Amino acid sequence: MSDAQVAAALLAQQLINGLTIGLVYALIALGYTMVYGVIQLINFAHGEVFMLGAYLALTAVWLLTAWLGAPPAILLLCGMFALSVVGCALTGRLIERVAYRPLRGSPKLTALITSIGVSFFLQNAVMLLYGSREQSVPEVLPMVSWEVGGVSVSGMQLLILAVSAAMMVGLDRFVRRTRTGKAMRACAENTEAASLMGISPDAVIRNTFMLGSGLAAVGGMLFAMNYGSVSFHDGYLAGLKAFTAAVFGGIGSIPGAMIGGILLGVFEGLAAGYLSSEWKDVFAFGLLVCVLIFRPSGILGENLPEKV
Amino acid sequence: MTLFRRAVLTAAAAVVLGSAAQPVPAAAEERVVRIGLVAPLTGDQAYIGQGCLNGARMAVEDANVRGPVFGQARLELVPLDDQHNPTQAVLAANKLVADPTVIGVVGHFNSSCTKAASAIYHEGRMVQVTPASTNPEISRQGFDTFFRVCATDDVQAPAAARYAYGRLGARRAAIIDDQTTYGKGLADQFEKTFKDLGGEVLRRDGITQGEKDFAPLLTRIKVLKPELVFYGGVYPELALLLKQSRKLGLKTQWMGGDGIYEASLIQLAGPDVAEGLYATMLGVDPKTLPSAADFVKRYEARHGEIGSFSTYAYDAANVIIEAARRAGAPDRQAVLSEVRATKDHSGILGPVNFDENGDVVGRSVGIYRVADGKFRFLEEAGS
Repeated sequence: MSDAQVAAALLAQQLINGLTIGLVYALIALGYTMVYGVIQLINFAHGEVFMLGAYLALTAVWLLTAWLGAPPAILLLCGMFALSVVGCALTGRLIERVAYRPLRGSPKLTALITSIGVSFFLQNAVMLLYGSREQSVPEVLPMVSWEVGGVSVSGMQLLILAVSAAMMVGLDRFVRRTRTGKAMRACAENTEAASLMGISPDAVIRNTFMLGSGLAAVGGMLFAMNYGSVSFHDGYLAGLKAFTAAVFGGIGSIPGAMIGGILLGVFEGLAAGYLSSEWKDVFAFGLLVCVLIFRPSGILGENLPEKV
Repeated sequence: MTLFRRAVLTAAAAVVLGSAAQPVPAAAEERVVRIGLVAPLTGDQAYIGQGCLNGARMAVEDANVRGPVFGQARLELVPLDDQHNPTQAVLAANKLVADPTVIGVVGHFNSSCTKAASAIYHEGRMVQVTPASTNPEISRQGFDTFFRVCATDDVQAPAAARYAYGRLGARRAAIIDDQTTYGKGLADQFEKTFKDLGGEVLRRDGITQGEKDFAPLLTRIKVLKPELVFYGGVYPELALLLKQSRKLGLKTQWMGGDGIYEASLIQLAGPDVAEGLYATMLGVDPKTLPSAADFVKRYEARHGEIGSFSTYAYDAANVIIEAARRAGAPDRQAVLSEVRATKDHSGILGPVNFDENGDVVGRSVGIYRVADGKFRFLEEAGS
C-alpha cells in the first residue's frame, strides 16, 4: 500500500472508531434531551441509569448461564436486552416518582441538585450490590472482525450500528406516529396548552423517563459488551460525554441528540488519534465550552433563553 | 414535655458523639497501639489494595499472638482507602497523623499517593513503609520518615528494557503510560534504557485512568507496526488495551511492570487475550520462597489466591512492629529511629536492610510471562 492509501485507511478506521462510541453517546444523549424537552431538567442521574443498564445486562448473562449452561448467543442477547431495558425503564420511572415529582413546581435548581444526589445514590447502591471491583463481561458474541484494505471492522461494531440505528428509527416513528409520542411532543411544545387539550402531563413525564432510561439501558448493554468490563463509576464520564453531545446537538431536540452524539464520538476519536490521546477528554469538554459560549442552542436546537 | 424532649435529645447527642469519637482507654490494661494501612480499597484497583490489607492485617494478628508490643498494649490495624487518588491519600495521611495512638503506616500503594502523603508523614514524624510504590523519586525527597520494602523502577524498568531488547529481540517499540507518577516514571526509565541499547521508540502516548475507549490510539500504533508495546501503568486499563488491540488486529508483544502483575488482569482481559504478555515483577514468585511458604499457606486458606503485594505488606508491617518492640514505647520518634536501625530483619521475602534513602537494598526483579492463564516466572534480572 502506498502512503496515501495507508493514510486513507487510517482515517477510515478512526471514523469507524468514533462512530462506534458516538452511537453509544447518542443513545444516552436521547434521554437527556427528551427529559429536558418535557420538564427542562438536566437529569444528571441519567449516566447512572446507563451504568445500571450495563450491570443488568451482565446480570442477565450470569442468570442465563447459571440456568441453562451455555445458551445460544441470540438467547443471551435477548435476555440482556430485556432485563436491562425493563429494569432501567422501571428505575427511571421510580426516580421520577420519588425524586422529581415531589419537586414539580419548585425552582429548577432544586431538581437539578436532586438529580446529582440521585446519581450518587445509584452509584453507591450499585457498588454495594455488585462490589467495587471491575466486573468482567463474558464474550457473548464470538470475537470476529473483518479486515478490508487495512480497515478492520468487528462484529461488535456492526451490532452497535444495527441496534442503535434500529432504536433511533424506532424512537422517531414512536414520537411521530403514536398517541403517546404525540402527547410527548405536545408537552414539550407547551405543557399548559397540552393539559388543556386533555393530555396528562404526569403521564407524559413518566413515559419520557421510562423511554429515555430504556434507551440508556440499550447503550449500557452495548457498552458492556464492547469493552468487556463494567465498573460502578462508568456512568459518570459516559454521562458527561452524552450530556455534552445533547448540548452540542441542541438540548431538547431528538435528532440533535443523535447527530450530537455521533459527531462528538467522531470528533473525540479524531482528536485522540491525530493530536493527543492524553487530551481526549479535554477536547470533548472544550467542545462543550465552545458550544455554550458561541452557540448555546446547539446545532439543531431552538434559541431558548434558559439557564440551567 | 420540653424537659423530656431535652433529655432525649441530650441522650441522642451523647450516643452520636460517643460513637464518633475515638474509643477512650478505660483502664491502662486496655491500651491500644495502632498501625495505619492505606491503599486503594474500593474502585477499580480495589482487588490489589485488598491484598495489601489482608497481608498487613495478618502481620498485626501474628504480632498480637506473639504477645503485647509494649506493656499490655494491643496492636490494631487502621485501614484507610485512598482510591488511588492523591487527594484522598493526603486526607488519609492527615487522619492518621492526627491520631496519637498511630505509630506508623504501611502504605500507600500507588506512587502518586505515596509521594503526596509522604510530606504529611514527615511533618508528623511518623514512619511510613510502602509495600509497593516503586517510583524512585519518592525516596529522593529527603524525608527521613520514608522507607520501602520493594525494589524501585530504577531497577525494574532497565531490566524490562534489556529483556525486551536482548531476549525478545525487539528494536521498534511504542510506549504508553497512564500519566501517573508510577506509570510515567516507569515508562520514562524504560524509554531511556531502550534507546541507550539502540532501540527505536516509535511513539510515546499517554492515556487517562478510568478511560475505556483506546481505539483511536491503538489504531495509530497499529500503522507503525511496533515489535513491542510497553505499558507503564496499572492493570485495569491494560486489560482494555489488550482486548481492543486484539479487535483492531494489532499484532505485537505487550510488556509492563509490577502494576500489571495481578491475576485479575488475566480474568478481565481473558486468558486467551492475555496469553504471551510479559511483565516485570519485584523479586521472584513468593510461592517459590521457603521463607514465605508458611505465610502463603495461611493466607490462601483464609482469603484465597494471594495478592501480588500481600507479602510486601506483611513484611512492611513487620518492619514497623519489630521496630516498635525494640523501641519499647509507643513514641513515633523512637519507632522511627528503630526502623532506620533495622538490620537484617528476617522478612518473608528475604532480609530487609535500608540504604540512606530508606530504600530496601539487594532486591532484584523477575521477568514473567502469561502462559495458560497464569503469570509464569521466566528468569531473574539483576540490578
